[in-house]
Amino acid sequence: MRHLKKGTMVAMVEKTKLGNLASKLLGWRIWVQSAFLLVWLDPLGLRMHTMCSPVFHCYACPLSTFACPIGVIAQFGALHIFPFVAVGLLIAVGVLFGTLICGWVCPFGFLQDLVAKVPTPKFDLPKWTGKLRYVVLIVTVLAVPYFFGEGHWLFVCRVCPAGALEAAVPNMVGQAIGGKEIIWPNALKLTILGLFLIAVFFMKRPWCRILCPLGVIFSLFNRVSAFFLRFNPYQCTDCKECHKMCEYDIEPEKSPNDSRCVRCLECIGCKPGALTFGSIFERPQSEENNLNDK
Amino acid sequence: MLTKNTKIIVFFLLILLGAVLITYGAVFHSTNVLPQKDDGSTAVAKSEPALIKEASVGGLTRDESGKIKQTYTGQSPKACAT
Repeated sequence: MRHLKKGTMVAMVEKTKLGNLASKLLGWRIWVQSAFLLVWLDPLGLRMHTMCSPVFHCYACPLSTFACPIGVIAQFGALHIFPFVAVGLLIAVGVLFGTLICGWVCPFGFLQDLVAKVPTPKFDLPKWTGKLRYVVLIVTVLAVPYFFGEGHWLFVCRVCPAGALEAAVPNMVGQAIGGKEIIWPNALKLTILGLFLIAVFFMKRPWCRILCPLGVIFSLFNRVSAFFLRFNPYQCTDCKECHKMCEYDIEPEKSPNDSRCVRCLECIGCKPGALTFGSIFERPQSEENNLNDK
Repeated sequence: MLTKNTKIIVFFLLILLGAVLITYGAVFHSTNVLPQKDDGSTAVAKSEPALIKEASVGGLTRDESGKIKQTYTGQSPKACAT
């Protein structure tokens, strides 16, 4: 057991029903991501672009059900209109799930997870690179669109690798097949796409960890979100198994709701069971048992 | 470190804020949009969902006077030009 200071009162935290469900779902994460992918890829051809989704999926993609919230915020910024719907959606979804969206729902994260299964050597970047996400959010999504408009070369949609991969590439293929003139994206966008396609083979989720402006918005809610990771110091044996399980170089026992975490929830599978998934609305079973005993 | 009760209060305040913003944007918020060609026709008030759809195809721009203008006449573009 992890040593605690004498007299420290720490509430016993055990697995709740939600925690048990999360543990059972863990092996099915790829299928949950696949199911959500079907929602984003517009299999019914609905093109509901009057609404934003809470994920990073380009609205110029021939297969996109909803509008990208980051694209909408940037475009509205260029028009000097406040994007009430997009901001409201990100606050509501963020405060409910935090970065659970990144780990389980986002199609661009899923794509990177799939490529990461290719057995290539994986490298880690310094922790400070995670702060670049704030720079991307402030510069390319907020400041540049507002002050310079959508024509600036640093406007987020002009440099976004998701847009290049999901929209530009399929559209170019469509133009080539249709015998039309191919409209190439700008050189910077192609370069970023090229770098991303290389990086994704040698790093786990390079976009999410270093540059994603949507992920950084959700990460701001990790400490207050309704669903979160609980750490029970009484059950921790200091085995550091969770460190090995975490693919994002986080120490879950020190910071279970870290802003760099994408909430893949792999760490809740640690043998001592010190990390569990919970919500602010439920009581751990030990507390429920105590109440029933009284 | 936030206590559980503080977290619940913060959660409800933020979820309420999100719901208010979504409702206001989806139901009440609109912006006047001018046609692409300055032919003397009046601006059309577009709701925020309609603006989102227009933005998703690059259908709107802001001119030098700060007015929102459509970037096309007739059929909208299929996808955003960026």
